[in-house]
Amino acid sequence: MKSELVPAIIWFLKFGAAFAQVEVVYWTHEDPNRTSLEERLITEFEAANPDIVVTRVTNPADQLAQLMLTAFAANRGPDIFNMDISNQFPYIVNERVAPVDAEAAGFGSAENLLDAYLPNMLDPVVHEGEIYGLPLELTNWTIFVNMNVFRDAGLDPLTDYPTTWEEMMEVADQLTIRDGDIITRRGFDFRYPWYLNFVVPMVEQLGGQLVGDDGVSGAVGDEAWLQVLSYFREWGPSGRNLGAPTYANARALFNFDNNDIGMMESGQYQIARIGIDNPGFEPGEGWMIIPFPQWENAVADVAEPYYGHYWMVNAQSNAAKQDAAWRFIGYLTQHADEYFERVGVLQATQELVDSETFRNHPYSDVFMSDLAKANVIYYAEDAPRMQQLLQDAIEAVLLQNREPADVLLTLREGIERTLRGEY
Amino acid sequence: MVTRRSKPRITVATRRALWGWVFVLPALAYFAIFSFYPIFNAVVLSFHSKSVLSLRPPVFIGWRNYTDLLGSAQFWNSWKATGLFTVGTAVPLVILSLLLATLIVSRLRLQRFFQMALYSPAVIPGVVAAAVWLLLLDPRGIANQWVNFVLGMTGIDHRWLASPEMVRISTILVYLWGKLGFFTIIFIAGLGSIPNSVREAARVDGATAWQLYRWITLPLLRPTTVLVSIMATILCMRTFSTQYLFTQAGAPREPINVVTLGIYTTAIRDHQLGLASAMSIILLLVMFALAVVQFRVSREAP
Repeated sequence: MKSELVPAIIWFLKFGAAFAQVEVVYWTHEDPNRTSLEERLITEFEAANPDIVVTRVTNPADQLAQLMLTAFAANRGPDIFNMDISNQFPYIVNERVAPVDAEAAGFGSAENLLDAYLPNMLDPVVHEGEIYGLPLELTNWTIFVNMNVFRDAGLDPLTDYPTTWEEMMEVADQLTIRDGDIITRRGFDFRYPWYLNFVVPMVEQLGGQLVGDDGVSGAVGDEAWLQVLSYFREWGPSGRNLGAPTYANARALFNFDNNDIGMMESGQYQIARIGIDNPGFEPGEGWMIIPFPQWENAVADVAEPYYGHYWMVNAQSNAAKQDAAWRFIGYLTQHADEYFERVGVLQATQELVDSETFRNHPYSDVFMSDLAKANVIYYAEDAPRMQQLLQDAIEAVLLQNREPADVLLTLREGIERTLRGEY
Repeated sequence: MVTRRSKPRITVATRRALWGWVFVLPALAYFAIFSFYPIFNAVVLSFHSKSVLSLRPPVFIGWRNYTDLLGSAQFWNSWKATGLFTVGTAVPLVILSLLLATLIVSRLRLQRFFQMALYSPAVIPGVVAAAVWLLLLDPRGIANQWVNFVLGMTGIDHRWLASPEMVRISTILVYLWGKLGFFTIIFIAGLGSIPNSVREAARVDGATAWQLYRWITLPLLRPTTVLVSIMATILCMRTFSTQYLFTQAGAPREPINVVTLGIYTTAIRDHQLGLASAMSIILLLVMFALAVVQFRVSREAP
């Protein structure tokens, strides 16, 4: 009798424990470097918190927004998720995500939480006085330079790199190799199709704005916009033929140093990916990083905007899941240094930026210098549509060789219709 | 007097009809759940303002979605893109598949091989086909190399994905390649159903091969031609994956911004479910009207 009772008690205890466990489902985008780190952190967290089970699900970055939207539309969203802020902001304004539980996340209070991060870095997730997310990464892009390509073209990368957009066009032209009209090596590739990232700061440097201060005017500053649109028209195949969005994405090629791309835009995470893809491609020898160029006639010193991927918690998850989710997120934020070292993503905590790890990381000074000049990316609910309108405008001048003045009128009308909520 | 009520008799016809309903019911249930309900739902939603993410109930706004759309240059551009694509694809699709079917049927050998070779692209999903074509149409891809070789030129970029005219042609090429085999097979079946006795009679009367084709085969093939033309028109108006993938790969959106792409971006990117539903309903009505016109024209033709 006794021999039967003991296993039964053990079984009931196990079953009871399993029954009491809270499962939190975490959806994120694919990133091999981060996957290995987070899998280890999950194991450690579960060991320290036997009442919580974390299920991590990854999806390709370009499909995540659509999957998330479909899941939330069906009220079946994950407990925790991250995306870029342009896609996440609508979840905040539609009350689909819960405010941060600063205590469960280990910060004690909202004030402590705000103090832990660099100034303004949480601004995009603050809505009606509440904070709705904690940063997985805060990213700004600068220019990555392949030094070997410069040398191959007879240029010295340390002295001949472009500092202005006018120089960028000249240097890119010198680096470009063509077989007739077909480009076999591009000097510089803009980061298509992320037009909010690189077009808006180019316009802002000249005093223009995507949306006016009144909130109803679009594409403010004719001269600034016309200069930028004319620049892209000259860049395209009907102009100096320096590249187009129809060529393969440069960031997919850059790491392999195959003499096919001279310069491209990316964030600090690219450094870790270069290390994985091509360990022999060394910083300072094979590649280097330079600041975002300025116009010669710039009126404002503006670099590429910063954007964030924030961890958010589903407001429809029950209280136990929300509590477990913030405890888990809080645990992840305690490893900001590892995220930076191994994955190259910056959680922008004051502690990390002050650390030796950050200071000794290649070109951190360039990123921080540009970050100081950066605005936050446009992140209103209509941000994806604004990006599409910019894409249409740039493609119209760059690929279709249309008149910048006509394109500007169409762009302005599109932005203002969007701001009025019209199709 | 006691009268016995006779049991209601189930006739054979009633029993057959009941069994008919039993067999038809699964299909009816399927269409009711997966076709009619979504259509009905879309009609209702098209009169409401509803964000995909909002937990609030839809707000009734009457005809505003429709008036917004009809006043939008972007919406009319979508119809222009859809119209150009449909005409540019459906017409060659019907003509080429008829010609190919005639050619294959007229061959005594390798008929099966040609049918299989032509049909094979139809089994490849549209997204995969478009992805493969993207590689071919890349500036450094095979399309430029092949055309330059044929024309005896070097280094010319034909801008398959970059220029507005070429990107339209490229989407038409990809679609033709994918669907030609499917419609050819339908025409082959149609040609096979024409009785040989009719042809033999015409031959005995001294008809030439061309006369036989023009006055016997084509008129008897009319039901198949109507079916193919309606199917081709509807499929072309519903085209999506090629245009979607091409715009994702950097092709300009405006020339190939077909209505279905607009529906997708309005619902998924802009989260405006009511507006996207109104676009879907307009597309449905236009497709329905075109199908009716095609039926009527084919009936009235001599």
